[in-house]
Amino acid sequence: MVNTIDQIINVFDEQKIRKNEALISCSGVNVFYSDKQALFDVNLDIKEKEVTSLIGPSGCGKSTFLRCINRMNDVIETCSIEGLVKINGQDIYDPKIDVVELRAKIGMVFQKPNPFPKSVYENVAYGPRLHGMFINKSDMDKKVEESLVRAGLWNEVKDRLQEPGTSLSGGQQQRLCIARAIAVDPEIILMDEPCSSLDPIATAKIEELIDELKVNYTITIVTHSMQQAARVSQKTAFFHLGHLIEVGETENIFRNPINKQTEAYVTGRYG
Amino acid sequence: MSDHIVSSFDEELNEITDGLINMGALVLAALRSVEEILKNDDHNLAQKIIDNDLQINDLGQSIEIKAFNTLASRQPMAFDLRLVFSAVKMSLYLERCGDMCKGISKRILKGDLTEADSPNTIESLVTLTNRVYENLSLVLEDYAARTSEKSLEVWSSDNEIDSIYSDILMEILNNIKSKPEAIEALVPLFFIARYLERVGDQATNIAEVTHFIVTGEVLTDEKEIQIENETTF
Repeated sequence: MVNTIDQIINVFDEQKIRKNEALISCSGVNVFYSDKQALFDVNLDIKEKEVTSLIGPSGCGKSTFLRCINRMNDVIETCSIEGLVKINGQDIYDPKIDVVELRAKIGMVFQKPNPFPKSVYENVAYGPRLHGMFINKSDMDKKVEESLVRAGLWNEVKDRLQEPGTSLSGGQQQRLCIARAIAVDPEIILMDEPCSSLDPIATAKIEELIDELKVNYTITIVTHSMQQAARVSQKTAFFHLGHLIEVGETENIFRNPINKQTEAYVTGRYG
Repeated sequence: MSDHIVSSFDEELNEITDGLINMGALVLAALRSVEEILKNDDHNLAQKIIDNDLQINDLGQSIEIKAFNTLASRQPMAFDLRLVFSAVKMSLYLERCGDMCKGISKRILKGDLTEADSPNTIESLVTLTNRVYENLSLVLEDYAARTSEKSLEVWSSDNEIDSIYSDILMEILNNIKSKPEAIEALVPLFFIARYLERVGDQATNIAEVTHFIVTGEVLTDEKEIQIENETTF
């Protein structure tokens, strides 16, 4: 219980200090697909409860980098990684790390909505059940509802919970995938071009959702839309040919980038 | 800077830039005419300035529409965003310069400069016109070349224009005191000086815009406020 002004200030300062610390810290990250190097010495810190956009031309390594954060690259046999990726100060490539647990803390949303061939309810309940989070039905019902509310989908599906997830529209399916990701209480949500297959209205709903989610989650998004990066993120990182060229406040990247390559890319001069 | 992948985007930006350079050229021509009518009390030329102002306004309007459409269709970023956003401001500043020249012409048409019997003041107004012309052409040259050195020079030297302006006001006041019967002929000179000083201010505004386009940095107006306080009459 906080009582005095001093205590309130201390709590505030602690939160501020915590907010200034990087939640995700990557240093000297190199990634190889067989003998082909896809990322070169990437050093990037991602702050807690901020949205960070990764931009760059196709094949620049931004999705590869995103997949380093939740060890999704592990499933690619030819892929190897060097360097350090820390989350909350913990090396996530430490052999002692439980990858299933790690991925529960880091939700991921893909380019194309990929609901399971199950009901809307089961899509959301699947993760918590897998991780043994809820035993009784009423708790699970609450979790499913809470996740769908947070994903901005509850009002649209509350009467269709038993219908297949695949029967929803593309935009609804993507929000269902976000509900599925947040149902296991992650700290981080990774989004790999989450709006590239959506119409402008569905895209706007996802962007609105990102704005709301950033209060509770740290979000990293790969996007090809410069305007989307400008709208949704506080930080933007520009990748080119596997190198992290520039990272900074989104406003600065789009208003007055330091690096000429960044300027050429964001203004559409890059060939 | 290299060309855009979409060449029509380059064409749109060039149309905006060329439009502003043309608009600037028309304003500079109007200022040259102001110099002439001050020297020769040429009422025909004054009427021509008034008629030509419509051309400046039309050009300004077409630039604003082009900038508006480019913002909507291209969603420009970085340098391009600064260029398009600033085009709207620049066209407004140049349009105001045109209005000031028109205002001077109207004042001259209403009376007779010779009645003021103040050759020294007229000479000072010609000096002020030249100084303002010089500043405006420097910033326009910078804008066309996408450089900002001359703009910075102009931005820092606006106080010189303000100082000439203050001296002219003192001169007119002294004339009014010594020749109260000529007050009707002298008051228009006061307005002409004010209009010219305002054109100088617009040149400074354009210098700020050009500097912002080229560097992405905003010049603070602390200095301007200081100058304003020093020269408020």
